[in-house]
Amino acid sequence: MRVVVAEDLFLLRDGLVRLLEAHGFEIAAAVEDAPGLLTALVSERPEVAIVDVRLPPTFTDDGLRAAIEARSQVPGLPVLVLSQYVEQLYARELLADRAGGVGYLLKDRVFNDDQFIDAVRTVAAGGTVMDREVVTKLLGRRAREEPLARLSAREREVLELMAQGRSNSAIAQRLFVTEKAVSKHSTSIFTKLDLAPSDDDNRRVLAVLAYLNG
Amino acid sequence: MPVMHRIGSSNSAAVVLVLAVLVAGCLVAWWLWSNQAQTTKDQRGRLRQLTWCAALLALSIMVASTVHPRYGGGRLWWIVLPIVALIIIVSRPRLAARIVPVALILYGLFGFVVARDYAFGGPVQSYGLTGVGNAGVEANLILPQAYAFLLLGGWLAVRSADPVLLTAKRWLGPVAEAPLGEQFRTLALLPVIAVTAGMLMPRIWLAAGAALILTAAVLYGAVLVIRRWRQRAAQAATVALLCLGVGGLAIAAAWHSSAPTFKTINVSAKPAPAKPQVSASAQPRKSLPAQPRRLGFLQARKLDLPRLSKPATLVGPFKPGALLKPAPATSLAGTVVSPPPSPAADVADVAYGQALPFGAVLVSSQGTAEAAALEGLAFLALGTWLAPQTFPRVRRMLGRPSEAELSERVERLTKSRAVAVDTASADLRRLERDLHDGAQARLVALGMSLRAAERLIPTSPEAALALVVEARETSVRALTELRELVRGVLPPVLADRGLADAVRALALDSPLHVQTEIDLPGRLPSPVETACYFAVAELLTNAAKHSGARDARIAISHSGRLLRLEVTDFGLGGADPALGSGLAGVEKRLATFDGILAVSSPAGGPTIVVMEVPCALSSPKTSSY
Repeated sequence: MRVVVAEDLFLLRDGLVRLLEAHGFEIAAAVEDAPGLLTALVSERPEVAIVDVRLPPTFTDDGLRAAIEARSQVPGLPVLVLSQYVEQLYARELLADRAGGVGYLLKDRVFNDDQFIDAVRTVAAGGTVMDREVVTKLLGRRAREEPLARLSAREREVLELMAQGRSNSAIAQRLFVTEKAVSKHSTSIFTKLDLAPSDDDNRRVLAVLAYLNG
Repeated sequence: MPVMHRIGSSNSAAVVLVLAVLVAGCLVAWWLWSNQAQTTKDQRGRLRQLTWCAALLALSIMVASTVHPRYGGGRLWWIVLPIVALIIIVSRPRLAARIVPVALILYGLFGFVVARDYAFGGPVQSYGLTGVGNAGVEANLILPQAYAFLLLGGWLAVRSADPVLLTAKRWLGPVAEAPLGEQFRTLALLPVIAVTAGMLMPRIWLAAGAALILTAAVLYGAVLVIRRWRQRAAQAATVALLCLGVGGLAIAAAWHSSAPTFKTINVSAKPAPAKPQVSASAQPRKSLPAQPRRLGFLQARKLDLPRLSKPATLVGPFKPGALLKPAPATSLAGTVVSPPPSPAADVADVAYGQALPFGAVLVSSQGTAEAAALEGLAFLALGTWLAPQTFPRVRRMLGRPSEAELSERVERLTKSRAVAVDTASADLRRLERDLHDGAQARLVALGMSLRAAERLIPTSPEAALALVVEARETSVRALTELRELVRGVLPPVLADRGLADAVRALALDSPLHVQTEIDLPGRLPSPVETACYFAVAELLTNAAKHSGARDARIAISHSGRLLRLEVTDFGLGGADPALGSGLAGVEKRLATFDGILAVSSPAGGPTIVVMEVPCALSSPKTSSY
C-alpha cells in the first residue's frame, strides 16, 4: 500500500516511515512541508496519506489546510491527520465533505502501533477514524440533550466506539461481547436517534458523526 | 461753565506715589531679608507688618482723593480716612493685613464706577495713582488700575496667611487646593464677570454705591458658582471670553465705520429730520432736572444702541473733551446735552455714549478703539486656549488630552502594568510548578522504568515487558499533561487561526449550546488575541458553572479601532463583578490593553458581558492551501 508521509520533525518522520515499512507499507514520499505535501498528494495519488497538522512554512495548521485542499482536488483521497492536540473545529472541517476516508488522531496513538495501523488501513479503505478525545467531547456536549439522554450506558459505549470509526467486530472485541449483541445495540441506537440504519460500517460512522456534529 | 472738578488735591497723586515707593521698598527689603538665613523671624515679621501698614495708609489716601463730593464725600474725608488708618496702624497693626486685600478689591471695583461716570460724560476723577491732568490720558488709566487693584487684592487674599483670610481660602475649598492651571481655569470667571460688569455698568443706571454693591454681589455669586460647579464655571468663562473677544472686535469695527459719518454730521451741523426719540430729548436741558435719573437712563439706551448699529442716526462727538465744551443745544437736535452745571449735579444729566468701557480700555478715540480690538484678540486667544481644557468635546476633536486626563491615564497604566507583571510572573510560576510536578516527574519515572526493564531483560523478560508497557503509558500521560499545559499558555487554534476560530473552537468545546457571530476580517495583535480569548473562555466557563444556562451567544466585531466582544448567557442572571466571580480578574487583565468590561445581569437573566479593547486589525492572511 503506497503512503505519503508529511512530518517536519526528522525523528518523528523517520519513526513513522520505519513503523509503516515494518507493517508492509510502501513509502511513496516523505515530505517535510505543506507545499511539498500538496504536490506529492496530487502527483503521487497515494492510497493513503499521513499528515501532521503543524507544518512549515507558517508552522500553524498548514498540514490540515493542505490535506483539505488536496481532497478538494482529488475527492475522497484518504488522509489520516495526526496532531499533538485534537480540536473539534478541525474534525468538523475534515468531515465537512462527508466523503469518508478521513482520520484525525493524536500523535500519541502511534505508540499503540497495532491500533494505529488498523486506523491507517480503515482510512485507506474509505472509513472514518476519529480520536476518542474528539468523540468524548462531541458526546459530552450533547449528553444532556434528548434523544442522546435516552441511550443506555452500554449503548453510549457502543456509540462512542462507533464514532471513533471502529467496525462491529472491533467493538465486540473491545467490549467483550458478541458481534450480534453489538449489532443489536447499534440498531437500537439508530432507532433512538432516528437515523437510517445501514449495514455498511463506514456509512454508519459518518451518519453518527454527522448526527453528533449537527 | 464747569469743565473739570479738581476735587481733593492733585498732590494726592504725589503722596500716594511716595507711599507706594515706600511699600515697594519694604517689599524688596522683606524679600531680600527673607532670603538671608541670619534674619530672625521677628525682624521679618516686623517688616511685613510695616509693609501692610504703609499699604493701608496709601490706600486711605487714594480712597480719600477718589471720594469726590458726588460720591458723598467731601474735604472731610481727607482728614478722616488717613486718621482712621493711622489709628488702626497704631492700635491694631495686625488688622491692616486683613483690611488691605479686601479694601483693594473694593477699591478696584470702585474703579468701574469711576470709569462709568466718566463714560457718562462726567469729569475725570482722581483714581489710584492718577490725578486730574490730561483728561484723555488720565481716563484711560482708570480701568487698568482698577484691574490691577482687583488682581492684587485677590492675590493677597489667596496668599495671605492671616487666619481670617485663611478661613475664606478654606471656604473656597477644592479650588484653592487645585493645581495652578486648574485654579486659573476655574477662577477665570471672576475677571470675565468684572469685565462684563465694567461694560454693562454705563447701561444700567444705579447710584455709585448701589453699582458697587451689585458688582460685588455678582462676583460673590460667581464665587459660589465656582465652588459648586467648577467645570461649568470654567466652561462659562471660556464661552464668555470668546464672546468678549468678538465683542471687542465688533466695538472697534463699529467705531471705525461710524467715525467718518460722525464728523460729517458734526461739521454740517444741520439737523437731520429728527426722529421721534431724538426730538424728545431735543428740548432745552432746563426741563430735564424734573426726572434726571430716569431720563439719563432712557437717553443712554436710545442714544447708545444706534451708535453702534446705525451711525447715521448717531449724533454728537465722541471725544469727551469735545463734550465738555459748551454744547450747542440747538444744533444736532439737542442730543448732546451739556455737562452738569455744577459738581453736585447728577451724572444722569449728562448724555451717555461718549465712551464705552471695554476691559481695561475706555473706547473713546481711534487709539482706544484699536486698543479694544487688541484686547478683544487677547480675549479670543485666551478663550481659544482655554476651550480644549474646559470642553472635553473640543479636546477630543483636537485629539489632545488634558493634564488631568493624562495623570489619570498614568495612574491607570501604573495599576494595569502592576497587574500585568503580577499575572505574568504568577503564570510563569504556575507553569514551572506544573512542569516540575507533571511532565518532568513522569519523564523521571519513565527513565527509571526503562532502566529497571533493562536490568530485568536477561533474568525476567516478562517483568521487563510489563515495565516497558508501564513506561509507554507514562509517556502518554506526560504528553497529555504537556498538551493541557500548552493549551493553558497558548491554545493551538488561537496560534494557528487567530481569535475568530479559537472562539469557535471554544464554543464547540463548551458544554453549553453556544451560537457565535464573529466578524473579524483580519488578525489582531497577538497579546490582545490571547487576552480576549482567555476572557471569553473564563466568561463561558462562568456561564456553564453558575448561570444554569443551556444556551449562550458570543458576538465579536471590530470597527474603527475598537474590538467589541459580547458574551451572553440565557441563564439566571445576577452576576456581580464585586462578588469575585472572575469578572474582576478579566476586567483587570483587559485593562492592560486599555480594555473595558461592562456587565448587565438582571435577576432572571440574561447576563450580557460586553468587552471593548482598542486595537488595530491587520490585513487578512491569504493562503494558497
